[in-house]
Amino acid sequence: MSAPRLNAAGLIWRNRRAQISRWGFIVAIVLVAVLLAIFIAERRALGDWLSWLRRHGVLCAGLAACLSAAAVAQRRTLKRAEFARSWLAAVPVKPGVARWEAFLIETLPASAAVAALFLGAALAAPALALQRADIEALGVVWAYLSGGIALGVSISFLIPRPKSIDLPPGSRYVPKPKVNRAAAIRPSFSALGLWPTRQMFAWLQPKLVARAVIPILVMMPLGTSADDAMIVIALFGLFGAMSLLWSAAMAVGGAARRWLAPLPARAAAVFRALLLPAWGVIAASCASVALLLLVVDVSYRLAAEIGAATAVIGCLTVGAVLLWHARPRRMP
Amino acid sequence: MSYEARAMSGKVLEIRGLRAGYGLHTVIENISIELGAAEWFVLLGPNGCGKSTLLDCVVNRLVPAGGEIFIAEHSLHRNPFEAKLQLGYACAPDVLPPLLTARQCLEVHAHAKGVAAVGADLLALADELRFTPYLESFVDTLSLGTRQKLAVLLSLVGDPLLIVLDEAFNGLDPASALILKRHLRARIERRRGALLLATHSLDIVEHYADRAAVLMDGKLKHVWTKEELQRLRSTHADFEAALAAASGPNLQ
Repeated sequence: MSAPRLNAAGLIWRNRRAQISRWGFIVAIVLVAVLLAIFIAERRALGDWLSWLRRHGVLCAGLAACLSAAAVAQRRTLKRAEFARSWLAAVPVKPGVARWEAFLIETLPASAAVAALFLGAALAAPALALQRADIEALGVVWAYLSGGIALGVSISFLIPRPKSIDLPPGSRYVPKPKVNRAAAIRPSFSALGLWPTRQMFAWLQPKLVARAVIPILVMMPLGTSADDAMIVIALFGLFGAMSLLWSAAMAVGGAARRWLAPLPARAAAVFRALLLPAWGVIAASCASVALLLLVVDVSYRLAAEIGAATAVIGCLTVGAVLLWHARPRRMP
Repeated sequence: MSYEARAMSGKVLEIRGLRAGYGLHTVIENISIELGAAEWFVLLGPNGCGKSTLLDCVVNRLVPAGGEIFIAEHSLHRNPFEAKLQLGYACAPDVLPPLLTARQCLEVHAHAKGVAAVGADLLALADELRFTPYLESFVDTLSLGTRQKLAVLLSLVGDPLLIVLDEAFNGLDPASALILKRHLRARIERRRGALLLATHSLDIVEHYADRAAVLMDGKLKHVWTKEELQRLRSTHADFEAALAAASGPNLQ
């Protein structure tokens, strides 16, 4: 095997492609059709967009470079860590081949972006020619963006690799229950209701929260008042916690189903035990969101509508996911 | 008639013409097994032969494509609640909920089984296995062996007639494994229940099993009766050779 990592990646891609169902193909075709429809509908404005992009070419190139550098550096760290534990780590490969292989794998986001730009330009060129618009602008914009992406790939090599972190068990961030060690074990499903909230806390790693709050704190010297910043942080925290709780309820629903399937537990009782506390937390969060919106001078009616809509969507989503997990699996 | 009386008169587990698989792939076909009172049945076979698929069907984690399963004479398909009341299953350690404590896992199992309290014999077994200090620990902080102990303890909540274990002795230290094997033997004798165990460990067949079967390519290749196993034990026969002979020409 001359380039084992590339060959393995190719085989994995081929296997995944074979697993895509008919519905997957239909969804992909619909998405392409929607994109084409948008392109055709907006084709007359294409020349104006390109002129604007050409005027701000350096800014676009800079943004492309930043995004490309961040994406490639992150992927390099991830792929190197993966490769160190991979089944291919011990396969003998010539150093030159290994270097090229690693470069191609690590710079895949940049290569994909350049390919997408090329396809977009190939699609836009005939439309511009038909309108007798400025095709040169298209070439210049393409050169700015592609050049920015290529520059970003070079810069990514200068970004230092972060220290590897061994994540602690999720329960480290979960409030510890107060128990009497001498107390008898009392049969109850109440612990099931704690599970989604605990999963939310387990995912709320302090480092992630700190990183997410940085942009808001950076805005403060740019003219944002401390009061506004605190309210924005609170709203951000509440919406973030709710999103995590939704994801947690979905993950926990599947895990609980696998664990409890052999037990003579009534589905309705398990559903109730898992759902009601999560609904309680979602409702309380939505009420807090509505109150915070009132503080930032949003009208009573709008704040109540936003709070109610968020609560209804959250509760229905969680309920639907738990019901979906409760379905029996059958062999066709 | 009480469950005990039913079990004593009838079969604890009856599998008739079972067929199951995943997607379009059939893993096991035409499996029929009967387990009587106080019987320890061991399921042997190479990796991927369908042992876990068979157990998944017995514990209702997978709905079979054909055949029927009865636990204490209750159909698992038509009357799953009554059937599962008499079933204890030790799930794989990675299926246990990571963010609940061991005590909370026991509470959930006890509530599902409808028992008023966790039995004193189970707490005594937890003590013997040196598990009691971990009762307040979150599952994700427990070692593999300790989680395995928890899974087995959970399977015994409610004193079920049928105990189903899938490689349950993996990861256990030898002392704990010995305590557990003796406890299970005594429990099925006292309860007049049955134990269905999938394993690769031949020492269990040699010392504890009443019957054993080899599953190959999704079909029962050979079943050793109680008398055959006793004869093998009394003649100090080589169980590995007996397994190889039963498995077919490739192993021989």
